[in-house]
Amino acid sequence: MEHPETTSANPHHTAHPVEHQSHRATYVTIFFVLGFLTVLEVFVPEVYSAEWSGTTKMLLLCIMAIIKAGLVGAFFMHLIWESKWLRWIAYMPIYMGFAVIIIMLESVYR
Amino acid sequence: MSSTVQAAATGHDDSHDLVPEDKHFGQATGGKIAMWMFIAQDGMSFGGLLFAYGVLRASAADWPVPSDVLGIPLTAAATFLLICSSLTMVFAVEAAKERNQAALVRMLGLTILGGATFLGIQVYEYYHLVHAGIGFSTSTFAGEDLNNLFGTTFYAVTGFHGLHVLSGVIYLICILRGAMAGKYTEGGISWSPVELVGLFWHFVDLVWILVFTFIYLL
Repeated sequence: MEHPETTSANPHHTAHPVEHQSHRATYVTIFFVLGFLTVLEVFVPEVYSAEWSGTTKMLLLCIMAIIKAGLVGAFFMHLIWESKWLRWIAYMPIYMGFAVIIIMLESVYR
Repeated sequence: MSSTVQAAATGHDDSHDLVPEDKHFGQATGGKIAMWMFIAQDGMSFGGLLFAYGVLRASAADWPVPSDVLGIPLTAAATFLLICSSLTMVFAVEAAKERNQAALVRMLGLTILGGATFLGIQVYEYYHLVHAGIGFSTSTFAGEDLNNLFGTTFYAVTGFHGLHVLSGVIYLICILRGAMAGKYTEGGISWSPVELVGLFWHFVDLVWILVFTFIYLL
């Protein structure tokens, strides 16, 4: 998905002022989703507090954190509207996140 | 009022200010590419810290349940506050692009207020944890000895993040001064510095989302 303001098929297109397209409605929707997920996150450890449900708790919390971080990166940081190369720069530290999740799984299964 | 409408109304053609199209990075400015590179390497720094936390926790024989020691509702409220400040930050960028100086100053002010309140909550939390016995190198809680690494890792990760919030607030104050002088609502790509501080601020928010999950909830 490309932003109408930052990309153009015609290289001469940049010679003209470009209309700014507002994303306010999208931002407000993302904000409510983030708020809702934060409330859910607080209740997950209480619901899955038993020893046997540790894996469920960990997986649910990790999935919610990944969704929240993804929404902030994609919409608030405009990654969804950026060029492919800029997105690749942003993706570079993601492997560290997966490494952390794997090591946390280790602590659950230990 | 959009830049196009404003340009038409004032007769000012700001097209010469726009960044030329690049084959790989579109119309991203050099500053934006540099900020993303900084964010990527800073993200790896946080990744390294969280990975070390995970290794130490996984290898510890006794690790306290974080929710028993840390105040989850207060931190959840701080997390929500940071999310609110991210919303005001994107509104600030929108206001700068629309050359709405009053809205830009208002939204930047609210973002700074959110960041400063978050820092205040963190200081309050540290104060209570230290008085409860959880120090940087020794940890006791409710009369019981805890794994000393609990306090060490907690303060290292949340303190590193707190310094980022403090840097972000100072950066935002600098941008607010420019916004009050009308520097970022002159048309063209004069709004670019607001977008850059926004990227940094959202990164700080994004990292906290992960820190909150790994340090407080898991």
